[in-house]
Amino acid sequence: MKALLAIAWKSAWNRRFTLSLTVLSIALATLLLLGVERIRTELRDNFSSAVSGTDLIVGARTGSTQLLLYSVFRIGAATNNVSWKSVQALGEHPGVAWVVPLSLGDSHRGFAVLATTTGYFEHFRYGDRQPLALRAGRPFGDGVDHLFEAVVGADVADQLGYAPGQRITLAHGTGELTTGHDDKPFTVVGVLARTGTPVDRTVHIGLEAMQALHLDWVGGAPMPGVRIPAEQVRKFDLAPKSVTAALVGLKNRAAVFSVQRWVSTYGGEPLMAILPGVALDELWQVVGVGEKALLAMSGLVALVSLGGLVSVVLAGLNERRRELAVLRAVGAGPRHVLALLALEGAIVTGLGVLLGGTLAALGIAALGPWLQSRFGLALALSAPTLNEWALLAALLAAGWLASLLPGIRAYRLSLADGLSPRI
Amino acid sequence: MTLRSLLLAGLWAGMAAAFAAGPAPEATTATSPLGGKAAAAPAATGQPRLIAWEELVPKDWDPMKEFQGIDLSQLDDADPRANELLMKMQEVSNNAPTNPEMNGALVRIPGFIVPLEENKGEVSEFLLVPYFGACIHTPPPPANQILHVRPVTPAKFRAMDTVWIEGTLQTVRNDSMMGVSGYHMAARSVTKYTGGAK
Amino acid sequence: MSAPAVLQARALRFAWPGAPAPCIDIAQFEVAAGEAVFLHGPSGCGKSTLLSLLAGVLVADAGSVQLLGQDWRTLPAAARDRRRVAHVGYIFQQFNLLPYLSVIDNVLLPCRFSRARRSPDARAQAEQLLARMGLDAALWPRSALQLSVGQQQRVAAARALIGRPEVVIADEPTSALDEDRREAFLDVLLSACEANGSALVFVSHDRRIAGRFSRQVLLPAINRAAAPQGTHA
Repeated sequence: MKALLAIAWKSAWNRRFTLSLTVLSIALATLLLLGVERIRTELRDNFSSAVSGTDLIVGARTGSTQLLLYSVFRIGAATNNVSWKSVQALGEHPGVAWVVPLSLGDSHRGFAVLATTTGYFEHFRYGDRQPLALRAGRPFGDGVDHLFEAVVGADVADQLGYAPGQRITLAHGTGELTTGHDDKPFTVVGVLARTGTPVDRTVHIGLEAMQALHLDWVGGAPMPGVRIPAEQVRKFDLAPKSVTAALVGLKNRAAVFSVQRWVSTYGGEPLMAILPGVALDELWQVVGVGEKALLAMSGLVALVSLGGLVSVVLAGLNERRRELAVLRAVGAGPRHVLALLALEGAIVTGLGVLLGGTLAALGIAALGPWLQSRFGLALALSAPTLNEWALLAALLAAGWLASLLPGIRAYRLSLADGLSPRI
Repeated sequence: MTLRSLLLAGLWAGMAAAFAAGPAPEATTATSPLGGKAAAAPAATGQPRLIAWEELVPKDWDPMKEFQGIDLSQLDDADPRANELLMKMQEVSNNAPTNPEMNGALVRIPGFIVPLEENKGEVSEFLLVPYFGACIHTPPPPANQILHVRPVTPAKFRAMDTVWIEGTLQTVRNDSMMGVSGYHMAARSVTKYTGGAK
Repeated sequence: MSAPAVLQARALRFAWPGAPAPCIDIAQFEVAAGEAVFLHGPSGCGKSTLLSLLAGVLVADAGSVQLLGQDWRTLPAAARDRRRVAHVGYIFQQFNLLPYLSVIDNVLLPCRFSRARRSPDARAQAEQLLARMGLDAALWPRSALQLSVGQQQRVAAARALIGRPEVVIADEPTSALDEDRREAFLDVLLSACEANGSALVFVSHDRRIAGRFSRQVLLPAINRAAAPQGTHA
């Protein structure tokens, strides 16, 4: 067997220019398969780690996926708001332990601004029940003395070079064209440690501050002729009128259904409450269709490249009849010939898979930081998962099986030719 | 029938189905997976006992006694009494008591998963409910038909997957307005449900 | 014959599948140990077919073909392959060598596939044979592609002889060589076979070299089958 392996290797090396293209195509197919699989699982993990320890998310009555997306991931927008009265009623419900209201809508140089209470830093969890931690400074405080304080996420601080003490101004709206709140600058008082969630790309301010920003605004634009300078806002009533959504924690997690029911039948305004875990699974059912399609496509690409391998070897068989006759003459039986070609196919597939895996690892190492800062997708370089090993094994097995085809043809040829090949 | 009557009927039927068994729950066939064998004395320690969801209800509880004599079909949708009735039934459902005999019992029970905490595809905390879609529009299960479960090792499941869980039940007392809060379990095993009572 | 027969064919009949009549029909054909036989005949008379039958590549339809006393027919295909490589060295007309192996690795090929021809000093034997064939040591590590046709045939001869097989079968090995090289090749081949004690069955259509051999056999003379239309070789 060792002799066969040496001969298979040397024979393949002799035809390396033709075969190297095949190796390359198998490598690309491997890269595609591994890449899709890795991004798929990482994406799902990223999404599911974005919120933890929250029993319900309450918002205007839209759709559960939509509510999840805009309240946790800052993707999309709410169609309506939740009135402050409803938030208070929620807080007074006997089963509710804490409520953290969230208000979205402003931005700062491309990053979303989230207005919330100090309870956010206490109750918000991510990943595996991990609380938020500050890597510099402190959370913003309660009350009018701490009105224009902001806490920024890790990505905001890293990309814009912020540290506690930095003065920043926010803008209304989240698109390219925004109107600035230049007259009311904020001071960064804290920087959060990296979480790998949308928190990193958010600027956090207090709810009252959000209210203060929009005191002299109406319908998305400043009221003409009305200017309330920053020093004077404190005189006004800064209690929020409405919020975008609210995170809710319960005293007893098993009561989640009845509180959810209470919210959806609340008489004050149309509201809904979602269980984050369930909404996430629903989201993934939709995404799952796309995932499966991508995987199927990658599988097809792999099949195509293996087909290329088979046709390259088959096409070259005719010229190798002399080679096969020589081998027969020195004692290789037809079975040896079959084994030789199968080994050759296995070597080519093996090299392709190895190259593809290496490319995938290099790609992740190179693109990881960029994906993190641009999309918030934390793609880590780690050992292949069970699924990925299975994919690689399937590729290798398929390559070996596919090369049995030319192997059988060579077997027949060598039988027919005997020691007198046609060519 | 109008929507409100439907809801009422649903809640009524749900509770009735869960508790109307009376003295002893019926044995089920292999095709009715969420039923089970007739309640027996707790098994010897070590082996989990297969239980039915009905066993989580104390035998002497009758949620219907407050609603005797009310005829649903007579109620108009706009009738404020219908709404009141709904609220009241919901409250009764929320305050459904636990069965004290179940405290400390080592059991095996099938159900549907509602994930509460999930990380890297593994669920580390979930609720187990007796029917599919308990978190959507149908009336939610009563408090003694919800298990709050923490698996010892996190399990790879999705929302509404059907599973068997095994572990020791604990009734937890919570003196809030929500009444006795129900069952907890540190599940030592969570496995995929494959049909048939075992 | 005084020496024992290494190859013996009796009442040999063979027809290609689908052919109307047999192309080989020989009453008796023997090769003694150490004998050098010149087998000739016009193109298409069945020389290559007979060689395949003698080497056990093809199995006779009727009669027996014995190598060292054992009929090929009694062995299954894999066993035939093993026996062939253990006792028979084969030389083709051209393209004898694997282009991706070096000269010396080509010579050592039979040793990889046969225990009988393998030995601890195989490499030394190979070098000796190559030297006897007149091939310079500098050529040995080179790829087979870099040799001339004449040199390649000599390497083929060395490979046929390594491990001392009892029979060497050569199928028109000099047909692609010019006159000078042909004579030189015959010199080394015949002397090496004699030194080895190997019998040699040499097929050619070239009558001019017949004189170098102790025995000459005209195939159509012993083959009673009519010349087939078209050949398979």
